[in-house]
Amino acid sequence: MRLGTRKVLDRSFTGLGSFSIVLVAAALVVLLAPIIARGATAFVFRGTVEYRRMMRAHFDSGDQAAVEAEVAAATAARQPIYDALASFEQKLPGYPAAQRRAYRESLDDLKTNLRTLLGPLPGDPPPALVRDAYGQTRWDRAQLKLRQILYVQTWDYGPDGQQQGRPVFTPRVNEFKGTAVEPIFEYLPTHLADLLRPQLTFYWRFLFDTAVDAHFFGGIWPEVLGTLYLTLGAIFFAVPMGIVSAIYLVEYAGENWLVSLLRSCISTLAGVPSIVFGLFGLAFFINALHVSPAKSVLTGSLTLALLILPMVIRASEEALRAVPRTFKEAALSVGASKWHAIVTVVFPAALPGILTGVVISMGRAAGETAPIIFTAAVSAGPALRIWETLTQPTPALPWNIYNLCTEHAAVDEIRHVQYGMVLTLLALVLALNGAALVARARIARRLSR
Amino acid sequence: MRTAHPRPLRLSRRASRLRALVALAGHGVLLLITSSSALAVLFIFFYIARDAVPFFQLRGLREFFTSTHWYPSRDPAEFGALAIFVGSGLVTLGAALVAVPLGVLGAVCLSDVLPFSFRQIVKPVIEVLAAIPSVAYGFFALVVFAPLLQSRGGTVLMIGWWCLAGPLAALALFVLSDLLTARVAPGRGSSWARVVVAVLLTPGALLLLVWVGQHLAQVQVPSGANALNVSIILGIMALPTITSVSEDALQAVGRELREGAYALGATRAEVLVRVVIPAAASGICAAVILGLMRAIGETMVVWMASGNAAQIPQPWYNLLQPVRTLTATIAGDMGEADHVTGSARYHVLFAMALALLTIAFICNLVSERVIRRSVRRHG
Repeated sequence: MRLGTRKVLDRSFTGLGSFSIVLVAAALVVLLAPIIARGATAFVFRGTVEYRRMMRAHFDSGDQAAVEAEVAAATAARQPIYDALASFEQKLPGYPAAQRRAYRESLDDLKTNLRTLLGPLPGDPPPALVRDAYGQTRWDRAQLKLRQILYVQTWDYGPDGQQQGRPVFTPRVNEFKGTAVEPIFEYLPTHLADLLRPQLTFYWRFLFDTAVDAHFFGGIWPEVLGTLYLTLGAIFFAVPMGIVSAIYLVEYAGENWLVSLLRSCISTLAGVPSIVFGLFGLAFFINALHVSPAKSVLTGSLTLALLILPMVIRASEEALRAVPRTFKEAALSVGASKWHAIVTVVFPAALPGILTGVVISMGRAAGETAPIIFTAAVSAGPALRIWETLTQPTPALPWNIYNLCTEHAAVDEIRHVQYGMVLTLLALVLALNGAALVARARIARRLSR
Repeated sequence: MRTAHPRPLRLSRRASRLRALVALAGHGVLLLITSSSALAVLFIFFYIARDAVPFFQLRGLREFFTSTHWYPSRDPAEFGALAIFVGSGLVTLGAALVAVPLGVLGAVCLSDVLPFSFRQIVKPVIEVLAAIPSVAYGFFALVVFAPLLQSRGGTVLMIGWWCLAGPLAALALFVLSDLLTARVAPGRGSSWARVVVAVLLTPGALLLLVWVGQHLAQVQVPSGANALNVSIILGIMALPTITSVSEDALQAVGRELREGAYALGATRAEVLVRVVIPAAASGICAAVILGLMRAIGETMVVWMASGNAAQIPQPWYNLLQPVRTLTATIAGDMGEADHVTGSARYHVLFAMALALLTIAFICNLVSERVIRRSVRRHG
């Protein structure tokens, strides 16, 4: 082969490698961008008057008088709509039967849509569900709902009705041509800001409020707290055991068949699929040992502890091995016993490294879902007090993310809560990992000095 | 001058025996704690198997492994898990197609090609990918990627094709034109010949790219929750493991080998492809196994975004159809089977867990063997 060709091949190989790195980085950006961008809307968004009314009623936040004044102003702005509806309903009996029926149907549909936008109409009975007691609390959702009022969506399946459906939008105003309701469709889009009075809102209490009516309103405190309990519980069980095991493996264990069996057990434990840990937790901690009568934070923590145990052992082993031999030898030479040397000299020197590993395993425990499905997590529940964790199951961020985006009755209505939860979980895990990264860089610098 | 020691330097016989005894006891306690954490895995095997065996007693082995009829809630129930096994395998295969080339190339790049300062940026990127919780990946797959795939599946496929095949085709053209001219016009002054050949080849390559791209753009994706979606996401999840373990393997190949090859006049690509990668092959193999284990054992992503249809896609390589995997079946069916503890429906999930556990165990054993052998060879 010519030298030139070989150079070309060399360069194209480099190009290929760099291309793959670029793809990986692009994957990270594509993954994180929507989660961060839309997750932020759970905290910062344009809240409407309905939002402030709700916050006043359920979370006791905001100024009572100001909210009342705002509600009064909004109600005044809504009055023309209600008047138009009322006058149309009065005239309705005058129409011929067939048209009356068509109008009645269209009107009911319109009213349903108006209720979701503005809350209960005058004369409605008090709604049973909290979600129906308020209109749209968020300006972005309100604009979506406005679109649903202005246009009726139908599906087009092609001439033969076999194709993939495409949405078709027709103006709803066509159904009410020449009636008293017609002006509403002019009034709504131009006066929406008066009807709902949007304001930029910074809802930092999203993290610390409990949810109202299946996450329609409010925050995610029970989930956050549940995740913290589970993570700390897992650390509480796994870390002492992991560190002791690592000390044994590094300082005491020789090279015999028993130790090599133990080592392969630990590495097998690291490879067990997380869902199997969940089943094991159910079969062992709950059904066999009866640690708690049913799911509880305690059993979940124990299961998660098993899951992170190999990580803790491995990280601690590495940290202990990184301590120079001379440390221990110096301690032994001044008369310390072996155990004394390990506890007072080797272990403190390895501690930063061990803590780094512990923090990374914390992130892992916080984000795992599969092991807690059968052992700890429930879809809804109050924030637990610390002694209740021994017997009570808890909502937790990872499980509730799954639950809200697959099993919730109104998945699309609460996207912001789902994104907010994912962002919170991600922020928690990445903050832990970031701390570990910084700590590790520091340790590396100190050891190299 | 003599100083009086508060304690004699030499212990009495009794004291030294006591000391030895205490040390032995401490040693024993440490061993006990260590073995209890290590024996957890034996406990897992035992407890999963204990609940799995009743299923095979109730239903036998044959139906579970050979039938594709999965109707656990029907009366009479059927428990054929073949389609679910195939689903797990298919998704893992797809993940391998994404993760192995990217991961190994990335590892090579990290260990040998990129300058040090750049490496310091890329490594955290990969660590972040590894740290992202699986439910966040699942959420992305279900809420962002699946709707996109469903509404604009063809376009997404076409863009993916262009992003992947465009640079690759350019590289191939570059190399091919060079190789061809090397045969035809050896010697100096052949750069014009190279350009001519490249220009001649370009329309053909473009035509191929556009033709395949147009075909892909026509593809209709019936549901965004399908095997392709999950494969891509699982591939990204398996990538950090593959990259970091392969990089370790590549780093472990000694400087001497590299320097020897460079001294013989090899280019960097030749050193890497002919010397370093073969020397690290077993480590890379172990990396791939470990990465794919993560893909097989992953629950949340497949549960949320694979469509959960217990069927073998027709034809089997059609990744655009929904599939169902072992992990998702366990996670999804346990809720319904929970209250009928003791029924075949409950025990079949443990049978699946046992199958998963066995697969994981074998993979782990193989990868450990492979790593140990490579360590022995390279010292």
